[in-house]
Amino acid sequence: MGTQGVITMQPKPNSGLFKRNPPIAGEADAIERAKNGDPDAFSKLYALHKRRVYTLCLRMLGNVSEAEDMTQEAFLHLFRKLGSFRGESAFSTWLHRLTVNLVLMHLRKKGLQLVSLEETINPSEEDAPKRDFGSRDPQLAGSVDRVTLERAVASLPPGYRMVFVLHDVEGFEHNEIATMLECSTGNSKSQLHKARLKLRELLRQPEKLQPVEGLKEVAL
Amino acid sequence: MSDLTNINFDTMTTAEFETYLPDLFATGGGKVSEDPRFAKFLAANPDCAALVSDLETIAEYAQSMFEEPVHEPSDTVWSNIASKLKEGVGGEEDGLNGTENLATE
Repeated sequence: MGTQGVITMQPKPNSGLFKRNPPIAGEADAIERAKNGDPDAFSKLYALHKRRVYTLCLRMLGNVSEAEDMTQEAFLHLFRKLGSFRGESAFSTWLHRLTVNLVLMHLRKKGLQLVSLEETINPSEEDAPKRDFGSRDPQLAGSVDRVTLERAVASLPPGYRMVFVLHDVEGFEHNEIATMLECSTGNSKSQLHKARLKLRELLRQPEKLQPVEGLKEVAL
Repeated sequence: MSDLTNINFDTMTTAEFETYLPDLFATGGGKVSEDPRFAKFLAANPDCAALVSDLETIAEYAQSMFEEPVHEPSDTVWSNIASKLKEGVGGEEDGLNGTENLATE
């Protein structure tokens, strides 16, 4: 018997080396002009980064209205702090870190301020992944695509989703996530693993995944 | 988390493997299936190998979620931003107390 898993996805659009945040044409010039108060340049920065910032907010919050509010706040904050960007990291990395911190601050203001995220992100037993390897179902092979994965991620309990998005999608390290979420590195690893197990469960039953309402998906 | 030193990966049980797995992924660059230390175990336990394969697939594919964001905010978002910038609100700390250190490099 082979050792291939049941989940076979369509070919990745950019498989191989995991290159993040390559330079975007015109970005450096727009940053410098925006720093000098050029409104058109700031508009260009918004156009270049709105999708990633909004998608990040949406994946973290799971709510269109809140995601749009936080996107707005992120770019207003960017406008205020752009002068402090020194180019020591990729601009998009800097912007994403700013956005993540804003979203986490927003979540804490909503009611997580009295309890650490380590205690609150753990979902109920019902939401937790089953503790077995599961049987392989050949009917599922090749049936999962990006949209299905997006729906599955949206279906994750908030704590799992947060760590999965920060680590596997955004590329933050466990120690960075632990600092941001005020939890231990071990907890971040554990939550990520549970998130992946839960996603595996969800992807085995894609017909049960609900479309994420209110999303304006752009053509790829 | 698990202490991975002094573990015999060839003779570990599937339950032990499950316990170690979060750390194995975290410390092995995310490619447990390509780590020669686990080759014998995975060959002997196809369900574990299938699990590893699926989890690696999910992790790899998550990267493409970053590379190609599929969601777009409504036009209202930019309208609100532009409006606030015109009003000069963008230059103030409008209700975002304690955000001075959010943008660090």
